[in-house]
Amino acid sequence: MRDSPSSRRRILRMGGVAGVASIAGCSGLLGGSSGGDNGGGGGNGGGGGGDDTVGQIGSGRSPFGERDLSGGTPMSAMPELSGELTLYSGRGEPLVDRLISFIEDLYPDLTVQPRYNAAADLVNQIETEGENSPADVFFSVNAGSLGALKDRGRTMELSSEVIDAVPDQFYDPEGMWVGTSGRARTVPYNTDALSESDIPDDIFAFPETEAFRDAIACAPSYSSFQAFITAMRALNGEEETRSWLEGMLELGLDANYADEFLVSQAVADGELRAGFANHYYIQRVLAGRPDAPISTAFTQGDAGSIFNVAGACVLDTASSPDLASDFVRHLLSAEAQDYFARETFEYPMVPGIDPIGRLPSIDELNPPEGLDLTQLSDLEGTVTLLRDVGML
Amino acid sequence: MAADHHTVDDGGEGLPLPTTIASGAVAAAVLLPLVWLVRTALNVGLDGAIAISTRPATVQVFLNSAALVVVVTAASVLIGVPFAYLTVRTDLPFRRGVTVAVSLPLVIPSYIGAFAFVSAFGPQGAFQRLLAPLGVERLPDIYGFTGAALVITLYTYPYVFITTRAALKSLDTTLIDAARTLDHGRWRAFRRVTVPQIRPAVTAGSLLVALYTLSDFGTPAIMQFDAFTRVIYVEFTSFGRDVASLLSLQLVAVTLLILGLESHVRGNEPLHAGQQGGRTGGTVRLGPWKYVAFAACLAVAGLALLVPLGILLTWLARGGAEVGNALAFRSEYAINSVGVAVGAALVATVVGLPVAYLAAGYRSRLADAFERATYVGYAVPGVVLGLALVYLGTSYARPFYQTVYLLVAAYVIRFLPQAVGSMRASFLRVNPALPEAARTLGRTSFGAFRAVTLPLIAPGLLGGAALVFLTTMKELPATLLLRPSGFKTLVTHIWTATESGYYGHAAVPALILLGVSGLSMLVILSQEGYDVK
Repeated sequence: MRDSPSSRRRILRMGGVAGVASIAGCSGLLGGSSGGDNGGGGGNGGGGGGDDTVGQIGSGRSPFGERDLSGGTPMSAMPELSGELTLYSGRGEPLVDRLISFIEDLYPDLTVQPRYNAAADLVNQIETEGENSPADVFFSVNAGSLGALKDRGRTMELSSEVIDAVPDQFYDPEGMWVGTSGRARTVPYNTDALSESDIPDDIFAFPETEAFRDAIACAPSYSSFQAFITAMRALNGEEETRSWLEGMLELGLDANYADEFLVSQAVADGELRAGFANHYYIQRVLAGRPDAPISTAFTQGDAGSIFNVAGACVLDTASSPDLASDFVRHLLSAEAQDYFARETFEYPMVPGIDPIGRLPSIDELNPPEGLDLTQLSDLEGTVTLLRDVGML
Repeated sequence: MAADHHTVDDGGEGLPLPTTIASGAVAAAVLLPLVWLVRTALNVGLDGAIAISTRPATVQVFLNSAALVVVVTAASVLIGVPFAYLTVRTDLPFRRGVTVAVSLPLVIPSYIGAFAFVSAFGPQGAFQRLLAPLGVERLPDIYGFTGAALVITLYTYPYVFITTRAALKSLDTTLIDAARTLDHGRWRAFRRVTVPQIRPAVTAGSLLVALYTLSDFGTPAIMQFDAFTRVIYVEFTSFGRDVASLLSLQLVAVTLLILGLESHVRGNEPLHAGQQGGRTGGTVRLGPWKYVAFAACLAVAGLALLVPLGILLTWLARGGAEVGNALAFRSEYAINSVGVAVGAALVATVVGLPVAYLAAGYRSRLADAFERATYVGYAVPGVVLGLALVYLGTSYARPFYQTVYLLVAAYVIRFLPQAVGSMRASFLRVNPALPEAARTLGRTSFGAFRAVTLPLIAPGLLGGAALVFLTTMKELPATLLLRPSGFKTLVTHIWTATESGYYGHAAVPALILLGVSGLSMLVILSQEGYDVK
């Protein structure tokens, strides 16, 4: 239902973009080399900048920190926003509040009513509200919850100006949602206990890696972990995924953590030698404790290295679809993309804006080919499988 | 409206009509969320429903939850009842302060408490690091059943403490004096006189503990214990709303079972005797033991309060990333918290009054059914109740959706049994001869109620209001779903910080939550006419 032949072809064509960097390299889109100040502001991974004043727009200077923005489209080149917008945000207030205030302060006639809650709760809420939902835009932490709303017929198609801003694999093939920033699946490891060469670059070598025995953990009820397993099912099939899970359990995988920040903390504390977590949790541990013995490893071209997106969609109940769509477009502006790199340690989606922190650039990552992000919304089979092997 | 104790036919004849109608309306209102639950659960279909209900994992988590409920309830009674006795009947030093301290764990959100205990007492947590120089390399495992039971007990025993306290406050101590003159020892007098008098209150508190334990999401998840709610949680986070509703209905079924069980245990005997409304006095002197008792009270309250505060403060001291203005504290958060909590406490007390009165005064299945109905909303996890009200609000009460009115309504539906249970236990101790006497002296039935019954049940009324107040202060899931956009309370602020991983920033609002709740408790206690000597 979700894969038209043309979109599948496009996915196959684009699937390896981030990793192989063929297109990016050729076009220079992801390179962003002209600024000459790549990632210069965030070498220590500490975000902030502490400057709350609204910067000048369109000057090419980042309003949120010390660097010049050469790539992307500034907000000044986008349609002005006016009216009232209800934003259901599954992204945390400390992470996005400054950006939303920034956009709101830019336009005197714009009022944004943000409503914060966990993404899954907001999907449940929107579904329960039905056609009476006050929500205009849903801003989510993952493609899964966006896909869930799409599957329930609750989204509206975005205009081409919005989706054309990002590479093809970062928006829904039918244009129902768009990625606004990216997060990579990673393996946090304790640098006192392991070195990077101890971490296999093939996820299927993990169950045989004795160095992990009784000292590796995951958070199986956390959506990003479920997305990882969902990717494995899509790429390698049900049986192989099951035997991988069983192998990991035999190795002593601790499947009892509530979320991946706790996994990363436990790795930094030496309670674990390694774990499974999104890349920014490690950056966030380091932001609080710069000397913590924790580092990031990546697997290559398999489910362990999927690249998921936070994104946004316009809801079918939006009172002004144009305003809603233009607001989503602002999330892809140069200023907003710089903000995500700087404040949430994420990968920008728009070519020309670089990530910040102790991270490889987006084209050094090697996510699996042939995987559609909307496939990651099919969590039901994953939950059943995790339950079958006794992890949930 | 005299608090007579009538046996009424099952048809309900003989019940006072206005009170019955009011009571029935309240019961109907609090059962409304079930409409949504059933509606959504029906989407699952019969085959799916049977498959889900009978899979081995479901049975196992049921047994896990049952074990947790039994252990936590028993432990809460063992802590709550002695503490209540100590603070009401003995010469414990600083009784008022101890009462507040011992009640306060109720306002710590369970997920904060559980998180703190894991951080502090985890295999290699803060406590282990403290002991590391002494050669302690690993602490015993806190995860699993032990940890879940410990943490839930520490944060729910105040239910038993507060309800039992209310009963002891209005206990006619001349009865104990009588027993003592009949050559009963202190222990025997306690067992034969005090225990039957406080039993309804103790069971009311225990019921609240049991049902809370059954429906708690946060603690089992963090303590990695496979409780029934963890399964519901998994369904919700994977967009399996229909299955989650079905599982929640199963939770309601278990609740009904527990309610039925409690009906047998609690006893429905009128407890008034002699000249009720007589003296409450004759403080028990503990001698040097009072210091031991004092230390015990402080140890339990200290463990429950200081562990989370200590951990949050450690995180605060450790510093962290700059997070901008979103986590800056504003006094309006505290005002909002207290505002909705006072609102919920008042409304719950007023609407709970007819239900409690009827259930205590009349031995009627109808009256009992109304009272039992109020527990359903309490036994459903907050997020489920919240979604049910999202449905009812958007479908039938659009102007009230995402306003404080619907929010307070949600709190009342969720916490009403806390007020009802406490008030019912008080009504049972009112001697009907007293309001009857007032009526023979020319008072109207309402006048007699106000002049005679109300003062006698005041401790139960205030105890119930205090419970609703404290639990509303910490309520999170329904608040997140139903609050007006931009409406922030202390707990949503704490959630905002912790949900993004900025645990240190939760320290200040958590301290303020404790401070504000503590002050409010002092106000409530002063209304009780607390006689500190």
